[in-house]
Amino acid sequence: MKQRMGPGHWVGFLVILVWCLLPVVWIVMVSLKPVAETTTGSPQFFPKTWTIQNYKDIVKNDDFLHALVNSFGIALIATFLAVVFATLAAYAIARLEFRGKRVVLSIALAIAMFPVVSLVGPLFDMWRVLHLFNTWPGLIIPYMSFTLPLAIWTLSAFFREIPWEMEQAAQVDGATSWQAFRKVIVPLAAPGVFTAAILTFFFAWNEFVLAISLTSTTAARTVPAQMSFFVGSDQFNPPYSQLAAAAVVVTVPVVVIVLLFQRKIVAGLTSGAVKG
Amino acid sequence: MTETAVAPRTTTPARASDRSIAENRLGLRLVAPAVVLMVLVTAYPMIQALYLSLFKYRLTVPDDKSFTGLGNYVTVLSDSLFWKDMLNTVLIMIITVAIELVIGFAFAMVMHRIVFARGLMRTSILIPYGIITVVSAFAWQFTFSLNNGFVNSWFHWLPWIGPDTNWFGDHWHAMFAIMASEIWKTTPFMSLLLLAGLSQVSEDMLEAAKVDGATWTQRLVKVILPNMRAAIMVAVLFRALDAFRIFDNIFIMTKGAQNTESSSFLTYRQVIEQFQLGMGSALSVLLFLSVLLIAYILVKLFRVDLAQARQEA
Amino acid sequence: MAPHPRRRPTRRARALAIGATLALTAGLLAACGGSSGKPTLTWYINPDPSAPSGFKGAFGQAGIAARCSTKDYTVKVQQLPGDATQQRIQLARRLAAKDSGIDLMSLDPVFTGEFANAGFLAPIPDQLAEQLKSTTLSGAVDGATWNGKLVVAPLWANTQLLWYRKSFAQKAGLDMTKPVTWDQIIKAASDNGGTVGVQANKYEGYVVWINALIEGAGGSIIQDASKGSDAKVTIDSNAGRDAATVIKELADSHAAEGDLSVSNEGTVLGPFATSKGAFIVNWTFIYSNYKDDKATLADLGWTRYPETVAGTPSKPPLGGINIGINKNSSHVDDATAAAQCITSADNQVTYAVETGNMPASKAAYDSADLKKAYPSDLLQAFSSSIDAAGPRPVTPYWSDISSAIQSTWHSPKSVGSSTPQKSADFITDVLKGRKLL
Repeated sequence: MKQRMGPGHWVGFLVILVWCLLPVVWIVMVSLKPVAETTTGSPQFFPKTWTIQNYKDIVKNDDFLHALVNSFGIALIATFLAVVFATLAAYAIARLEFRGKRVVLSIALAIAMFPVVSLVGPLFDMWRVLHLFNTWPGLIIPYMSFTLPLAIWTLSAFFREIPWEMEQAAQVDGATSWQAFRKVIVPLAAPGVFTAAILTFFFAWNEFVLAISLTSTTAARTVPAQMSFFVGSDQFNPPYSQLAAAAVVVTVPVVVIVLLFQRKIVAGLTSGAVKG
Repeated sequence: MTETAVAPRTTTPARASDRSIAENRLGLRLVAPAVVLMVLVTAYPMIQALYLSLFKYRLTVPDDKSFTGLGNYVTVLSDSLFWKDMLNTVLIMIITVAIELVIGFAFAMVMHRIVFARGLMRTSILIPYGIITVVSAFAWQFTFSLNNGFVNSWFHWLPWIGPDTNWFGDHWHAMFAIMASEIWKTTPFMSLLLLAGLSQVSEDMLEAAKVDGATWTQRLVKVILPNMRAAIMVAVLFRALDAFRIFDNIFIMTKGAQNTESSSFLTYRQVIEQFQLGMGSALSVLLFLSVLLIAYILVKLFRVDLAQARQEA
Repeated sequence: MAPHPRRRPTRRARALAIGATLALTAGLLAACGGSSGKPTLTWYINPDPSAPSGFKGAFGQAGIAARCSTKDYTVKVQQLPGDATQQRIQLARRLAAKDSGIDLMSLDPVFTGEFANAGFLAPIPDQLAEQLKSTTLSGAVDGATWNGKLVVAPLWANTQLLWYRKSFAQKAGLDMTKPVTWDQIIKAASDNGGTVGVQANKYEGYVVWINALIEGAGGSIIQDASKGSDAKVTIDSNAGRDAATVIKELADSHAAEGDLSVSNEGTVLGPFATSKGAFIVNWTFIYSNYKDDKATLADLGWTRYPETVAGTPSKPPLGGINIGINKNSSHVDDATAAAQCITSADNQVTYAVETGNMPASKAAYDSADLKKAYPSDLLQAFSSSIDAAGPRPVTPYWSDISSAIQSTWHSPKSVGSSTPQKSADFITDVLKGRKLL
């Protein structure tokens, strides 16, 4: 159907590629410069001397590796749990009639808009009392809370798109709501669930304010927070190129996920997120 | 896990009259875990913030804690810094969302028509979306850095950029750098949401309009945009509220220097850095109220009841 | 748990859920339990420079921790963020919550007053305090004292010197054997195509400069610091205006570096190593920094911090790290003993040789190891600079005062004769809680 592509589209295509990838290529270039070069100033795009020393230094940096493990663990657990809870809630919102549905939607909306910064202080005190400060659950719980709205939102829109008749048909055939859910909805909803999972993962992988405020050691500190802990040969010059190397390393999982699942992510967003 | 707890109850066949009661109960059970989690993490802290905002209270001088009523709110609302930061935040929000909307729409149009390398296109558009904001902020800080950035050497032919332009040296340059970082990272999100809306515009309607001799602009204004209203609304709402809470970029790039502080950053500094729990809590409450106000204005502006729109879909 | 694994998959799901919950709580338990055997003292340190390649064993403060572990306790280090503001936030929040997970901490002098006043610090036993006072350089003692009491144990003392390129000073015809003024070096640099590197980003380092300029003109930012928020703000004075004059002169001169308004201790290093490099004011690490750059090192000169007003001896900035003991630590006595070991002259010397961070102890400057690592006239310059230092006021409200100064004095280009008065008003309003920072 959409066969015609003018030169405008070609230009647009190139512009999009440059727009999206130039800063990424740039940070890769910075990461390949020796630390000494960035300390004295290295304004050219490509390194004067190419080196992979920064990457070697990073994989020897135990604190950074700990942070990487924390980031993965926390993001994956938060994603899994948030998606489970969101799936249940979204199913109910999309398919069932129950009192308080609008209240749930309003709560979700309010929390989606919540300025995280305004929670940090009280949350810190609360976590100290509950011994959740500087632990994985201490980050997992708020990450779940803050990703639930988006996940519920995406999923309920998604669930609404699934043809009603099929579930009703299944119910007429004697299936219960639950069986209808499992046999009919789950296969149809899988792409939406997947999208919600990826969005949640990106959020947890990305989160910074809570990560710097609710952790104090490498027991729970995630990569975004760990970035401010990089030290160079003197305490006043952050090792810029090493920082860039760390940035590249934490971007790799994002790129991998995107490469593997780009079709699903876009399809999920396209069919689910915005059908107001 | 909770689904397993719920399952056995609904396996008993229900009579028609019990159905709505069962459905009601099931509905509540299914949403309960999510609601509890969301409320747990936000409600108590917000109540505590409301309470503390009525006190003069500093963490490091706990003996000095005293009740001031609405004193903190009066101080904050009559303070020029609060309004300056609010202005910054609103400016960042309006400018970035407007630019993202335009660029994002252009991107969406291109992506909609592209027939080859769609995988490559999708992959590259999703990378800025998925990248960590802190990383993006570092990348852009390096980009604009006087000693380590390429912007000056690439663009010094522009009249307002010299080889020595210090991008973090004054207000507007620094704001530009912060907004560039924000726009780069979030335009893809915008364009994907808009692409979704675009794909809902019926090709037949477009063809029909074309046959009737409508120009490209007419088709855009009369057919495409009206049919995308819901998509645009959701995209703008989400992005605007997100942009209003901008923090990471500023934290990494300027730490609020050159008057580039946002309302979130001000709140963070009061609560976390200055340990001004009373004043900071008042700011937290005001920040939350501002967010609600913006959401309200946007929803009114689009004349759509959001929850209702979701229901009707 | 799985008698009918095939027919009841829900059981398995539930087991999984329980497993996940256990995994979650395991983290909690790990945080609470495990206090059998010999105690571990956790020492929160500011980051040390990275160890040179080929260095064997524990470096810097981690090395000290290893040497100070005894048969009764083990000292373990945990790193704080690089920037002092973040260090203060992390520590103060946890100390205010009476966290016993911190035993010892490396404190920047600027939050000593705040922590001591808030009752976060365990008192240093009189005998140890007396001993530390008599063996430590007087400038460093001042920075470690609150309300007449030594509240932390100095580990190392930092100070700023005027570092210069000998060839440049010669070209400019400046006699560096005599005290020089800011006016002189700015003129010399701008007339000869050189730069003067300072710290003028919106951060603590800028206030270090401002404070040194004011102290050097015989003034001070506040007086009666012990009165807390009722201290007398004295920045609006002739000394304050002298300081503003110097900053304005540099900001308007060709001697200013292009990134003056975002400059810090690190950004000035690059330009200093180029042909435009002329002068920088900077901390003691500069010498170690250029140690491997033989060309620059041969041309590197140093002298006392510049004078604000000709004829009035300068009062160089003071920095460094002091060791504080958490009052709520479960092992205060062990921690006190460890603090004594950590700050011993021997450890200060090893630390200085490794990192370039200079000792606070007088005796350490006579050590053969230190003399082997650094030229004796440099050591002499350091110790006399520390002794003559004009530290930033020790007050519980320093972070407010500092931020208020940063807001009113930044950027350097905006500084003028009315700046001191504006900042005095603002500081007063902030201390009285009338204005936001």
